[in-house]
Amino acid sequence: MDQHRRTDSRSWDWDNQHCRAQMDQIFFREQDYIRAGSSEHREFWSFFDRFQRFRMKKEMCGSRREDCRDAGTKSKLDLGLPAEYDARYRINVSVCSRDMEERLGRADHRHRQRSSEPGPEEVADCRLALLHFLDFSQKQSFGKLSKLRREQKCLPIFQYKDRIVELVRRHPVVVVAGDTGCGKSTQVPQYLLSAGFNHIACTQPRRIACISLAKRVSFESLNQYGSKVGYQIRFETSRTAITKLIFLTEGLLLRQIQLEKTLEQYQVLIVDEVHERHLHCDFLLGVLRSLLADRPDLRLILMSATINIKLFSNYFGSAPVLQVPGRLFPIQVIYQPIPSEEQPSRSEKLDPRPYLRILQGIDQRYPPEERGDLLLFLSGMAEISTIQEACQVYATHTRRWIILPLHSTLSIAQQDKVFDISPVGVRKCIISTNIAETSVTIDGVRFVVDSGKVKEMSFDPKAKMQRLQEFWISRASSEQRKGRAGRTGPGVCYRLYAESDYDAFASYPVPEIHRVALDSLILQMKSMNLGDPLSFVFIDPPPAASIQTAVTYLRQQGALDARGELTSIGRLLAQLPVDVVIGKMLVLGSLFNLLEPVLTVAAALSVQSPFLRSSQQNPDCATARQPLQSSHGDPFTLLNTFNAWVEVKKERGSGSRKWCRRRGLEEQRLYEMVNLRRQFKELLKSHSLVESEDSGAPSAGDRGQRRERLTERRRLHQMKRQHELQEGSKRKVLRMEENQDGASSSGSDTEGTRRKRKDKDQSRQSMDIQEVKFKLRHNVSELQEAVGQELTSRQQALLKLLLCRGLYPQLALPDTHNSTRKDSEQVFHTKNKQGVVIHPTSVFASDPEVLQVFEDDGGEMGPEKKLSSKHQLLSFVTLLETNRPYLSNCVRVPALQALLLVCDSLDTNADCTRLVVDGWLELQLKEQNEALKTLSTALGLRAEWERLLLAQLRQSEVEEPGQGQGVSRRALEKLSEELVRFLLYTEISYSLQRLAAMQTLNLYVGPQPDLELPALDLSVLFPGAEVKADPVKGGLRVTSFFTYNCLTDSKDLYSECLRTFFSCPHCDLYMPLTPLERMHHEASCRPASELQPTEEDAERGKTKSSAASSLTRVYHCDVCNEDLTLTSTEILKHKRQHMAV
Amino acid sequence: MDQTTNDPPDQMFTCQLCGLSSPFTYYGQKPPKTRAIVLLEDCYVTKDPFSPDKEKFLVLGSTCSLCSTCVCVSPECSLYYTKRFCMQCVNKHLEQFPLQIQTELAKKKQSTKTAVS
Repeated sequence: MDQHRRTDSRSWDWDNQHCRAQMDQIFFREQDYIRAGSSEHREFWSFFDRFQRFRMKKEMCGSRREDCRDAGTKSKLDLGLPAEYDARYRINVSVCSRDMEERLGRADHRHRQRSSEPGPEEVADCRLALLHFLDFSQKQSFGKLSKLRREQKCLPIFQYKDRIVELVRRHPVVVVAGDTGCGKSTQVPQYLLSAGFNHIACTQPRRIACISLAKRVSFESLNQYGSKVGYQIRFETSRTAITKLIFLTEGLLLRQIQLEKTLEQYQVLIVDEVHERHLHCDFLLGVLRSLLADRPDLRLILMSATINIKLFSNYFGSAPVLQVPGRLFPIQVIYQPIPSEEQPSRSEKLDPRPYLRILQGIDQRYPPEERGDLLLFLSGMAEISTIQEACQVYATHTRRWIILPLHSTLSIAQQDKVFDISPVGVRKCIISTNIAETSVTIDGVRFVVDSGKVKEMSFDPKAKMQRLQEFWISRASSEQRKGRAGRTGPGVCYRLYAESDYDAFASYPVPEIHRVALDSLILQMKSMNLGDPLSFVFIDPPPAASIQTAVTYLRQQGALDARGELTSIGRLLAQLPVDVVIGKMLVLGSLFNLLEPVLTVAAALSVQSPFLRSSQQNPDCATARQPLQSSHGDPFTLLNTFNAWVEVKKERGSGSRKWCRRRGLEEQRLYEMVNLRRQFKELLKSHSLVESEDSGAPSAGDRGQRRERLTERRRLHQMKRQHELQEGSKRKVLRMEENQDGASSSGSDTEGTRRKRKDKDQSRQSMDIQEVKFKLRHNVSELQEAVGQELTSRQQALLKLLLCRGLYPQLALPDTHNSTRKDSEQVFHTKNKQGVVIHPTSVFASDPEVLQVFEDDGGEMGPEKKLSSKHQLLSFVTLLETNRPYLSNCVRVPALQALLLVCDSLDTNADCTRLVVDGWLELQLKEQNEALKTLSTALGLRAEWERLLLAQLRQSEVEEPGQGQGVSRRALEKLSEELVRFLLYTEISYSLQRLAAMQTLNLYVGPQPDLELPALDLSVLFPGAEVKADPVKGGLRVTSFFTYNCLTDSKDLYSECLRTFFSCPHCDLYMPLTPLERMHHEASCRPASELQPTEEDAERGKTKSSAASSLTRVYHCDVCNEDLTLTSTEILKHKRQHMAV
Repeated sequence: MDQTTNDPPDQMFTCQLCGLSSPFTYYGQKPPKTRAIVLLEDCYVTKDPFSPDKEKFLVLGSTCSLCSTCVCVSPECSLYYTKRFCMQCVNKHLEQFPLQIQTELAKKKQSTKTAVS
């Protein structure tokens, strides 16, 4: 514009920081549209540089400024456009402020004095640049908007927009069926939003999908920085009061129904991916089906792939179906069945030749500059590593492939590599489990190789065992796999089976509800008052036997009572989002003073193991892991690991990342644990099972500290936001050497896999977003204080017992001949499954010596029966059969003590030297007296434990915390003290073996109709229990679990020969007693010191005194012919008197 | 987070040429909180959805100064040169526009043609 460009030799320099700062004073003040220091401000100055360069270049070229108009000869209308072209005329924005005007006008009446001050020319230059910058930003943003709208229009579902809205308006249930790429998941919720529907919930089977969909949809609905669209998953939510559309997991919606039966908070429910037929989804559909009757205004939309649509429509009374074509490019299908000589036999490894031929074929047929990657589906990890190895050799040789495995036990960083880009001329070969069928979507795949196999988890209710078996896939999965080749362009699918095989495949995969244990489902149904699970209308009902097994199991676990109703512990377990056994552990842990370690263990057992399989072979990792290992069992190793990690987090913050890497730990799992742990604690608190500690002046601290924390939090929030902004940016380019240290093992990704795409670049950025989130959520010092204390050996013993009780009946017995076997061949037996082995990841697989039994001297019970006081059992979390049945996550426990304290059924002979536990374990005790003492102690401990536990649970049921009568701390301390003493110091020689099949047939004496009931009132010993003849086993049923004298070798109940002299340590009793009489005496006779009720124990004292009074009863003595009020022991004494006379 | 829980129903701006449609929050020359910035025509304006800053605005479109057609600011639909012209009017009166614009439009026409063929 100005022709005489700055000829004056003033020292105005645009590159000078000072000069720019002066401009900032004029244009980018605190009150201006763009503020100095903001990101736009930075962008402006870099734009300014480009703009100046551009103008300079233009000037040098010399602008042609011809008058372009032909003097308006043709058109009658004069638009009145300026004669001379100026780019500024194309900008519809202007900037003016008084400051600016003044400066621009100053030159007229005042000449410049200080050369460092900007003159009007400079101000004008800057203003012009600003106008162009504003115009540029507008264009940029509008470009994004118009691209977005264009893409939305292109989606196949777009043309059905009005139809969908209309259907939803008119029908309570609508099924939208469309294949991959039709856009249903992102668009349908938006169509409903823009049609005026509000309070929409859309469920997803996977957590990760909730986050990514919420992100995408909020972007598309131009609410990226608002919270109209949000997500809610287990530990995270972005929901606010104004959220109109929420993406959440199926499980979470079910939990919401549990809290609010009619789900008034929602107007529209969308259940996505119903065809995947997950357990939760099937159940959710059933619940919603009955909910619709109570909520005629509720709208339900089911979204599915075009699979089995009729099933869903019919289930909801022939709901209308809208079918949308997918957007797939044509895919050529090539059937290439594996020739018989290359078929692997059962035990053999996969033959890689058929797979290699395909790689070669692709290299021959397609020029390397034509892009397109290969996705290969195999059944499990072992298969993947076999093929990976062979392909790697080929890849190294040809340098045209990068081989990448993909399965759920890989670290997240390794999983994420499949999204990176291969260099030019090189293809990715991704060898995956069925994880890539639905959960993980990889763009750029052109070739698919389908082995036709999948490993699926099934549940064997008889052995209470999970089984991972290989099956042919269904036609639906087969099509899904094929479809992965046609997402970004035409593709090829090689099927390694014959077309006739394909035709013989099942149409659909077996729904999860038919494959898995239904324990948690039934528990949840009970807590939602859905009536008899057998009569619930499922879309595809599970086998009745499967439901029955679950009910029986829950009854065994004490979650259901005999009538199938929820017990108080059951009600609590139903609210914990974990397995029943782990829930039980938490409840037990809250009773004793072991909450912190139990929380950690429960959390650790609920997530995938943080120990990466691939690092196990790495000697450096193994050495670094060594100090974390505990010989007590895997849960203790996990506990040590977690505690050590928290310590590192406290000391070094994000340095923990490196610490984890050195030990082959997936840090993500530890973050999951810390979150889960906190959720558990909050749940227990909300049920008053844990005292809420924050009532006592929340870290009163000084004000300065609090302010410091506040500032810190603000900083962290800012970092999180910043991370969210730059998320999802560039993909990395893979290097040729990018290859895995092979992880070989078996298994497959049957359940929802939890990879997190959003963590993608995290490991490469300097900011560790996980660390930021961790710090926002947790106070590391508090956490460290809570978990940091090392367990004493007593606490350790007690913790083991709690785990064992929680995990019961999951117990395994070491085989008698293990001492003669190699380390790797140690065999174990569970009640229903013999010959199981320990998973190689367990500490007992590498260190089986700790399970060795040291024989006591004088073993005289025969070669099979070692006498020892140190027998041990393994309590385990999972029994999973792959190629062999494996136990994982094991803890070793002292056998006799643990069994006596947790077992469901305990049968004895007359002198209690032979015990049969749960009908499968036999213990023979050497010393009769010792046996009696031990048994009697155990019975007493169990009764007390039960009493306190019930009191604790009752307390949790009282509405307002603090109202209930708390469990006396003193009673608890005493109990834990005694339990520990019992666990650690019971020195009694016994043998331990599994009953042979023949023995179990002839175990019990059977009913004895003529049996005369003993004179003793055993209800005193076990309040509430009625002692009576056991109608099946024979003998006497003393408590719900203990039957005395029912074993076949039993002698007559009252035969005098069973009497042995007994002197009571507490009173002066000395007389021959039968075992039952003796136990009875021991239970009622307490040391004098204990009988003094203390002040704190006043409450308990009451129950005690009532118990004491119930000890006495009216006894009619025939000899004296008198009614006497005596305790049972006194009666005995009295009888003796007469005998002596 | 938005300030209001009960926001009024969205007013929609729709381009009469390409059909692009999006809610707008302001119509005129002085959108709120734009300080020294003034628009030189009456525009349909919304908050810039791609900026985390609440005060950034985005012009969606305006009306053609000749035929009063409602058009978006996309270069396919309209052009601003001291005034807003819809593409139809621009083509009708192309000769009145400076050469720079004429050549630019011609070039664009060419490139879209080759892209299509």
